[in-house]
Parts: sequence; C-alpha cells; structure tokens
Amino acid sequence: MQSVLFWSAVTAYALATVAFFTAVASRSGRGTGSGAALLALGLVPHAAAIGLRWIEVGHGPYQTRYEVLSADAFLLVGAYLVTALAARHLRLLGAAVAPVAFLGMGLAVATFALKAEVPIIFKSWWLVLHIGFAKLFAATAVLAAASAAAYLAKSRRPGSLPRLPSPERLELAAHQFLLVSFLFLGVMIVAGSLWANESWGRYWGWDPMETSSLVTWLAFAVVLHFRVLHGWRGPRMAYLTFVALAFAVSTAYLVATIVPTIHNSYMVGR
Amino acid sequence: MPRLLRLLRSPRLALAALAWLGGYAAAGAWLPWSLPGGGAPPGWAVAAGLDHPFTTWTFLGAVALLFASTLACTWGKRARVAALLRGELPGTAATLPYRAGSDVTAFLRASGFRGDGPVLRRLPAALWGGWLFHVGLLVLIAAIAVQQSFHDGATLQLTEGEVARLDDPGAVFGRDRGPLAPAQPPPLTVSLLSFDPFAHQPGYAPDRLSTLRLERRGGASVEGTVDRARGLRLGGVKVFQAIPVGLAVDLALPDGSIRSVHLATVGAREAAADVRDLSGLPVRLLAETERPLDDAGGTGRVELALLAGDRRYPILPGSPFGFGGGEARVAAVRRWGAFTYSHSPGMSGVFLGFALLLAGSALLALPAGVARLEPGGAARVAGRGTAALLADWAAAGRDA
Repeated sequence: MQSVLFWSAVTAYALATVAFFTAVASRSGRGTGSGAALLALGLVPHAAAIGLRWIEVGHGPYQTRYEVLSADAFLLVGAYLVTALAARHLRLLGAAVAPVAFLGMGLAVATFALKAEVPIIFKSWWLVLHIGFAKLFAATAVLAAASAAAYLAKSRRPGSLPRLPSPERLELAAHQFLLVSFLFLGVMIVAGSLWANESWGRYWGWDPMETSSLVTWLAFAVVLHFRVLHGWRGPRMAYLTFVALAFAVSTAYLVATIVPTIHNSYMVGR
Repeated sequence: MPRLLRLLRSPRLALAALAWLGGYAAAGAWLPWSLPGGGAPPGWAVAAGLDHPFTTWTFLGAVALLFASTLACTWGKRARVAALLRGELPGTAATLPYRAGSDVTAFLRASGFRGDGPVLRRLPAALWGGWLFHVGLLVLIAAIAVQQSFHDGATLQLTEGEVARLDDPGAVFGRDRGPLAPAQPPPLTVSLLSFDPFAHQPGYAPDRLSTLRLERRGGASVEGTVDRARGLRLGGVKVFQAIPVGLAVDLALPDGSIRSVHLATVGAREAAADVRDLSGLPVRLLAETERPLDDAGGTGRVELALLAGDRRYPILPGSPFGFGGGEARVAAVRRWGAFTYSHSPGMSGVFLGFALLLAGSALLALPAGVARLEPGGAARVAGRGTAALLADWAAAGRDA
C-alpha cells in the first residue's frame, strides 16, 4: 500500500513537472493551474505514504535517505502550495518546485526498503523541531532561488510569462523567502543546540554539521546585508541567492554524506 | 561622529567580520584533527594555537569585532525607527509621483498602508525587526561569553550501587571549565541505582538506561531515570548519560570494603585496568571474554587474570588471590557506565538572545513601510518592498 501511495505521488509530481514546463515553454503561462493542482493532488497520497511509514517504523521521517528526501519533497510541495494560495501570482514557481520534488522522490526510492530503529537520542521534542525546521529551511531556500530565477527570466524578457508578477515583485519575493529561510535555519540551529545538550551534555561541539549550519547562517547574513546595507538589487542579488541555495544544499545534504559527523545517523543508506 | 564609531558602523566592516567568521569556522571545522576521530594535531598547528581553532584570539577577536560592529550599528537605531514611524522619512525615501486620474492614497491603502492624516503605515510593528535582531545578537554574544566563562563540565564512571562525590580528588576526569568557574567541581553526590547498557525502549535501538540519585551536600536531592535523550538536574547542575561503557570488577578487600575497578577496552574481547595493589605496587587487571564486549546478549564466559611484572596469575571466581600483602576476592563482574555533569550559568541569557534574534528575523520578512502624502497628490515611501511598490504604481498608471 505504501509503495502504491508513494508511486501515485511520484506520478502526480512528474505530470506537474510536464504541465509547468509546458507553461514556461509556451511563454503564455497556460498550464500553471494544472501544474499546481497536480502538485496538490500528489500531496495527498504522499502524506499517506509518509504517515504509514511513520506508523510502521515508530519514528518520524528522519533516518533513512527515503524517509529524509521523501519528507523534504513533501514539505517543499507543501510550502509551495501555501505560497500559491497566499500569493497566486507566484504559482509559476512550481516550474522549479515540481522537478525538484520529482527528483527528490527519485533519489529517495533507492532506499525504500531500508528500515531501521533510530538511536535513543532521537527521543526528543527538540529533535522534531530541529528536523522540521531543517526541512522548512531547505524548502524556503529552494523557493527563494526559484523566485530569483524567475526574476532573471522576467527581467530579461519583461513581456514573456504574463502570469508572473513584475521583476520587482519577484525580487522582493526572493528576498522574503531568503529571510524566512534564514529564520528557519536559526530555529533549526537553536533547537539542534538544545537537543545536543540533552543528548551529549553540551550545546555546541563544532561538529562538521553544526559548523556548516553556522557557516550557512553567516553566509545568509552576508547575502542579506548586501541587499539591506549596500542596496544590492537586480541580477547580482539573484546570483547571490543561488549562492545561498548552494550553502543550504551543502548543509542539508552533502556534509553528512562525506564527512564523519555525529549526524551520521541521518540519511542512512546514502 | 567620532572616527572609530564611523568605522565600526561601516557596513563593510560588518560584512568583513561576518565573512571572516564564516570562512574561519568552515576552515577550522574541516581541519583534519577537528573531525571526529581525526587524530592529534601536528606540531605547527599546536604552535599556532590551531589545535583548538575556536578558542584562538583570531577567532575570539573576530567575535568581539562583530559584537562592537553590531553595537555601533544598533546605537541610535531605535530613534531612527521611531522617527520613521512618526513620518519623518529619510532622504533615501522613494517618491510615488502625482498622476492625473490616479489616487495615490487609494493605491497605498490597497497595498496595505493604514492610518489617518498624511502619514500611512504598513505593518508598523515589523519596522522594529532590524533593531530587535541586532539587540538579540548582542544579548546572544554577551550571554555566550558569560556561559563560556562560567561553564563547568567533566566525566565520571559509575557501576551499579556506586556513589561518587564530584569534588572528591580523582572522582571526575576530562574536566572542561571556563576561566571564571569555581576551582572545585560542584559539591554533588551521584549514586547509580541501576544501569542497563542495552535497554530496549520501544521504537529505538538498544542503548544505555540508568537510574540516578543526585544529592547536594546538606541540601536537596533528586532521583530519576536518564538515557542519552534526557539528563537529571539538581540546582543548576545536570548529569547526563554518556556513551562509554565497560567491564567493572568489584574486588572484596580484606577490610570488608568493596573496590570497583573500571576496565578500559583494549580489544574486541579484552579489557584491562592498571591499578595499584594493597602494597602500592602497579599491577594490571585483565579480563578476556567469550563474546565481544559490546555484545548486547552478554559477554559470555569471562576469564580474569592479574599481571604483575611479567607474571600472570589467573583469578578464579569466588577464590581469594594475592593482591599485594593481602588477599582479595572477586565479588562481581559488572559494567560501568560513563556520565557527564554540566553546569552552564548564563543559558537564560542565551535563550533570550535567540528569542529576540528569531523574533527580529520573523519581523524582517514582513514588508513594513511608512508613506507620507505630499501636497499635490504625490507620496513619499520608505521601508521594505518600496521598489515593488514603485513598480506597481507605474503598472497601475500604464493600465489606467
């Protein structure tokens, strides 16, 4: 049942990707609504698949690569749908969200069969906050980069993609998503620090993942400073948003897979 | 404005401090000896103080510089926000020009600006976001400095039934304390009432589970269960379950007392401890097990021996053996568990700093602004999202 639900979600995300790509390729934006609807449709079986796995293994989606990436894709699509409801003019950002969610599910499926008990240190509400906000941080960083990419496209051809708002609105959206991502990263670090104290008796230990989170937070602060204090706008701010996304991806996915760290019980099956 | 203050308030300095801290932290954490199991640092790194990269003056100086820069930047910021809220717009404010047939007030109201009179505001409380963020950062850095100065922590090992007074000589090891922490560990007695190194809690992999009793000398006491997910607190000192476990041999001595010898793992099936016998001579107590020491099903048969010089004396269960001028007997072979204690004054300040920082971040994401209606149908606008507002005004003009 779990696998049927999972593949239903994958199919919906794949179809949403096609719909959004068609919308972008046609320059008219037609197909945006269908894409958003397909993402919403895929979210239902996706939630059920995550819920069934949670019940089966007795812990949240935060250990194996399947659990981590599937839940990350779920929250990315969820964050996008909340955005699309609150700001309908940003619905075309789904053109970035749908393929990322689809690819995430594709990377997740290789460890679908892997199930394991989590270490006892995972028995903490701080961990739920830590992981929940880590996922939201990654999702909002993707949305910021998607807004920046849309800004670049719209500012080069102002007449194209009429369903997108003005470049200035897209630039503001990228900045706001980056700020929200910065906030979520901050909450993730605080909750992680409190969890570390419960688990290891210290708040901070300069573990590679801890340090990478701090470095990413500082990098976001630098990027935001460029806009707020130095008045950076336009394409160079968009490129800096991509740099911020690169930091976010490194922290969320790369460090734990290439360096020995206390976070090695995360993304098991990599 | 004094030159130093101008320098500290410079955006370039803030950026430089942030970039330096980020780069240094990244490099420091990736030094081979900083990684878990990375081995000892080379001599040149020790000489340069890079064996502990996050306590070097280079790093601490950059943190101090960031603090000074943030303080200088925050200085006067409250007055600037208050002035903006009163409608005193800075020279950098943008202008929505008068346009025949368009009502700038209606446009501003449709964009979320509210108020009576010539000054309209959008999400005014959110204008405090930057100030709150900077104050939070200052509180956080100051509180971490206090916490690090007074922090005190160390490790201890206990077997079931054993009692340790933290301030007894040799009771704790690996002590890490700040420069202003008391010279002695806290006057706390820790008793291990029960210990299971492989307790299986539903949904979680087998791990350590202990019942501890903490007692402050001549004061309160507390009893509770600790695992690696939660500790036990008494009077600002928290005791945690640490990872290391090992075999312990309880020796019954001629005077009737029990001495628990904690053996360190020296191989997959071998543990040993270097101790002094009753005459004060160094001997080695050795345990060899049938199955691996960390086998959750138990170690199986345990063979004990005493090594004195180059001679090996087998120790049989329950039988007396020579232990330097007297006879001892093995009363039990059990497991010891490691624990850590931690005392961190200043953490409430750290939490307050984080709370302010996060509240500031949340407010910064909101498009707060102030608009002032000008005579002649124009308006001046300052705050976040001004460029988008100008674009919307221009687009509204084109549509009209």
